[in-house]
This record gives sequence, structure tokens and C-alpha cells, in this order.
Amino acid sequence: MTMRLFGLLAAASVGLSGTAFADTVKLGYQLPLTGETAQYGQDFRKAADIALAEFNKSGKPFTVEILFEDSRSDAKEGTTIARKFVDNKEIVGVLGDFTSGVSMAAAQVYKDAGMPQLSQTASHPDYTKISKYQFRNIATQAQEGPYNAKWMLSKGYKNIAIIAEQTDWGQSVGAGFTDTVKAGGGTIVFSEFFNRGLKDYRSLISKIERAKPDAIYTGFFYEDGAQFLKQVQQLGIKTPVYSTSAAYSPKLLELAGDAAEGVHLTSNFLPTDPSADVQHFVTEWKAKSDGAVPGQFPAQAYDAVRIMLAAVEKAYPNPTREKVRDALAETKDFPGVTGKTTFGPDREAQKELVKVEVKGGAFVPVAD
Amino acid sequence: MIDPYYLQQLAIGLSLGMTYALMAIGFTLIFGVLNVVNFAHGEIYTLGAFAGLVLISAAAPPAVAVIFAALAIGALAGFSLERLAFKPFRRFTDEASLKSRAMRESTLLSSLAVSIVVREGLEIGFGSQMQSIPFAYLINTPVRVGPVILVTGDFIIFGVAAAMLVGLQYLLTRTRTGLAIRAVSNNPLGAKYVGIDTDRTIIVTFVVGSMMGAAAGILTGLYYGAVFPAMGFIPGIKAFVAMVMGGLSSIPGAVICALILGIAESMATTFVSSGWSDMVAYGFLIVTLIFFPNGLFGARRERV
Repeated sequence: MTMRLFGLLAAASVGLSGTAFADTVKLGYQLPLTGETAQYGQDFRKAADIALAEFNKSGKPFTVEILFEDSRSDAKEGTTIARKFVDNKEIVGVLGDFTSGVSMAAAQVYKDAGMPQLSQTASHPDYTKISKYQFRNIATQAQEGPYNAKWMLSKGYKNIAIIAEQTDWGQSVGAGFTDTVKAGGGTIVFSEFFNRGLKDYRSLISKIERAKPDAIYTGFFYEDGAQFLKQVQQLGIKTPVYSTSAAYSPKLLELAGDAAEGVHLTSNFLPTDPSADVQHFVTEWKAKSDGAVPGQFPAQAYDAVRIMLAAVEKAYPNPTREKVRDALAETKDFPGVTGKTTFGPDREAQKELVKVEVKGGAFVPVAD
Repeated sequence: MIDPYYLQQLAIGLSLGMTYALMAIGFTLIFGVLNVVNFAHGEIYTLGAFAGLVLISAAAPPAVAVIFAALAIGALAGFSLERLAFKPFRRFTDEASLKSRAMRESTLLSSLAVSIVVREGLEIGFGSQMQSIPFAYLINTPVRVGPVILVTGDFIIFGVAAAMLVGLQYLLTRTRTGLAIRAVSNNPLGAKYVGIDTDRTIIVTFVVGSMMGAAAGILTGLYYGAVFPAMGFIPGIKAFVAMVMGGLSSIPGAVICALILGIAESMATTFVSSGWSDMVAYGFLIVTLIFFPNGLFGARRERV
């Protein structure tokens, strides 16, 4: 009897000490750290490090550790990492991946395991439809496409050409945009997808011009964008070019130079925003990157990590995957550098978009 | 009257083909003519571009100096590559090893290993994003020729590729070094027995071929204004296809096939989505391998 009581006591004390000293909560972050999209993943890690260091310094009763895993933007790698994260019982939430394709592949694993997943960039409409565990901190093309379509129609462009990269995301750029253009009385005179990383767009540009569009709507990231814009300029073409927030990066201006002049696009992050939160992030970022200004993607990653950390804090003590998921779902008006974030019942972050034009080598917000 | 649209596409195709040819020349010299399986040429190309970029951002020298820096780095890289990935496999000099195909083809993996190390090393050092090049160095100022628009780089690349081609043909057919290269490629054992310094010949070929690879890298980098660690991969594949189509050992054949490849890609864009244009290169490779196993220009037995 005494032995038994002692045993119970011992078990209880182990259990107690278990909670008392489990003051580190672990998160996983899957992102491309090598390979052709590594520059994005590296930026996300930098943003996550800033957010994490701030959180751990702020005197919370626990600290958080983020395990980074390199997915190389490869769906197979992505699912392997997802299994690894799921098997690690200490991990209560996952951030990433970068592309919609890899995020969606990994999401299948997280769905079965009941692991909350928050991607800073996956903007394919189907991503959050996979299960109640998928969240994102980016405006989808279902939101951005119609917004840009109305913008272009309001400028009087009726015959519009679309080109986008040949990915899940690129497909959604075309799909979200086309319907609104048609509903608004416009015509899509040309629509085509190119392979990401294409160096020579001149054949494609000549082909677009043969369709005589009033304006070109493009779904690309900054490297492809810079190549495209430089070659448009080379061929002496003056057709206005519109793009999505994916191309919003200071690197676009750096690589394309004056060829980027006059490009219109949307964004939900402006590094020139005077608010203290934005300026704090911009300063921290500059200190870590030789004075370079952050683009929209790192800002989204910074916010995504902070949203996840807030959810973990809410689920503390004893955060579980289910509690973190529920805390994430309750996120309301989270004040981030990319605007206030609220997750609706569809786990979409409704973002406020800003219209931007490249003028004099800088992104300048415009009214219309 | 031909539609100016097609003339423009033809011009774009030719300039595209010219950038492939630039890469294919050095590639074919090492892989095809010397008959050494080398999959690190794409990284030599990348190294050449980065060497030029580093010099531009450090000292802002005249463009010619940049090309010479790339050539020097290419020579050094070619020498080191040979030393690291190829020489160790020649340490057995017995007849069985010299005749062994396995010995010869094992450099496929060793050169691939070097290429991965170089690429990842560059990624660690420079990051994998595209590096920006000061616009003054770019060779893409538009030039109007009749109804089509070309850029200055098209003429420079044409000139360099032509000079490389003529120079190499001269080297291979008119000089003793060229004779030695051909002898080593034809029969390494025989070449050794008649007193040719095979080690030296192989090193010379690597140095020359890699200099050309590095020059191709910096020129293409300045042409497109895009320098990044993975830049050598696609041109490497295109050069490989051009070499196989051209009959492995024929440098003029590889150049002609590179041009055919470029024109076919730009013309194909007119009829199919540009997303499919890479299929043209692979399609050509398959068709060539099935119907012309010796390549389009490889019917002769002599390996030049």
C-alpha cells in the first residue's frame, strides 16, 4: 500500500515537473533554403528569426523554438518534411511552405495528422479548402484577380492579354482575373503560361503584341518579371503592364532598372508606411541585410510567424495541435505590418490591397 | 513579302541559338572531341559569370578586362576540375583500366559531384537570388535592323562564337596540340604508346574548353543581365542536346544544331504555348537518337 502510494506520488511529481519545465514550445517551418527558389526561403527564415527573437525576449512564461526544414520547393520533399514534423510530438504548429504546389502537397499530411499549417504565401484558392487545419497570410488570386481586373477596366483597357507562370499559382492568376474582365465587358485577347525561370521572353512578347492588346496582365515573381520587363523595353513595346503583388519586391526595380518604369501592381505592404510597427520591422530587416529594404513576402512571413506565436501563447499552457488550431482560427484584427489580419470561417486572411505604380525608380501608391 | 513578325521571331531564334552555341563550343570540345564525360561545364559557365560580376562590383573595370578575368578564372577552374574529378581516375595505367568503359564513365559522377559542390558553394556565398549587374555593363541596347530589333549583345556573341569556332577548328586540324587531342580521344592507350603526353593534352583541352565556357557565362550574363548560381543548368542541357544532334565530336555540327534549336524554339512559340518550347529541345534529342544515332553531322569516323 505504501509502495503503491509512493509510486503514484512519484508518477504525479514526474507529471508535474514535466509541465513545469516544458517551457519550450516547438514549431516547424518548411521552406526552400536551397534550390532555385532559395532566395525566398532565406528571406522567410530571416523574417522568422526577427519575429522569434522579439517574442523570446519579451518575457513570456515560455520560449518558442522553430525547426527549419529545407523543402527545395519540391512537393516530394515537402511531404517528407510534413511527415517528419507530424512524427515529432513536440511540434504544435507548422509554417510554410513557399509555393502553393508544395504547401498543398504537404497539407494532405497535415490534414490527416491534425496539424495546424499557416503559409505566408500559398495563394492558390484550393489551399485552404483542403481541411480546417490550413491557414494563410496572403490575399488569394480570387481576391486580387477581380480587384486588378476592375482596376484595368476602369482605365479603359478592353482588350487584355494575360501571361502567367506555369504553376498552380499562375493558373489561379488567370482564373481569378478572366471572369471579372469578361463580366465587365472586356475581352481576353491572349492567354498563355510560361515556364518559371525562362530567360528569353522575346518570342512570347512578339506573340503577345501580334494580338494587339491594350494592356498586359502578368502573373510572375520578380526575377521573371525583371527579365520580361527588360525585354519588353528592348523590343520597343509601350503596352502598359499590370501585375500582382507577387512581383512587389525592391529586387524588381534593382534588376529591371528603368524598364520597370510605369508598371502597375497591387501590394499589401509598403515599407514606406510611417507606422511604428512597419518602421521597426524595416529597421530590423535592414540591419540584417546590408541595408536592403524588405519586399512584401518577407513582411508576410514576419506577420505569419507572429500570428502563429500569438496563437501558441493563447493555447499556453499545454498547447496542443488542436488548441493551436482553434487559437489560430480565432485570430481577429491581428495588427501586422501587412495590415490587420482576421481569419474568416474559410481560414482566409482578408487583406487590404494598395494600388502601386513604379515612378522614378520607386513603388509609389496611386489612387487609381 | 514576309510578315515582319516571322522575321522578328527568326532573329530572336538566331540570337537564342547563338547563346546556346557559345556554350556548346567548349562543352563539345571536352565532352565530344576529347571524349571525356564532363557534367560540370555548366558550373564553369556560372563561375565565369560570377568572376566577372565580382570584378565589376569591386573595381568597375572596362568590359574587356571583365572578359579576361572570366577567361582566367575559366582556365583555373578547368585545371582544378580536371585535377579533382578526372585525374584520380587515370592513376591506374594498366591496359585493362585504360580500356575500361567503367573507368572512363565514372567521371560522370565525379564531375557531377564537383558541379553540385560549386553550385551550392556559390549559393552559400552569394545567395541564390539573381545578382544585379550595373546597367552600363549590359550588352542589350536595342539595334534596329530593317524590320527587326536586335541588341548589341547579339553581334558581340556572334563575333565571339565565330572566333571560337574558327580558332578551335584551326587548333584541332592544323596544330600538333590539336593532333594530340584527337589522338588521345581516338585511343588513349595508343596515344600513350606513341609518346604523346596524355596528361598534358587532357589538361590543355580542359583549360581551353573551360575558358570558352567561362567566357560564354559572362557574355550571357551581361546579355540577359541575370547572374545566379543555377544559371548554368538549362544552357548545359541545350548545349548537350546540340552536341548530341551534331554528332558528339563535331564542333561545327554542334554550332549549327544550336542555331537550329534556337530557331525551332522561337518558331514553336508561335504555334504552341511557350510553356512547351523546352519540349522542342528534348524532342530533337529523342528524334536524333532514334533516327540518327551518329548525329546529323557525325557520319565521318574521324573525331573532329
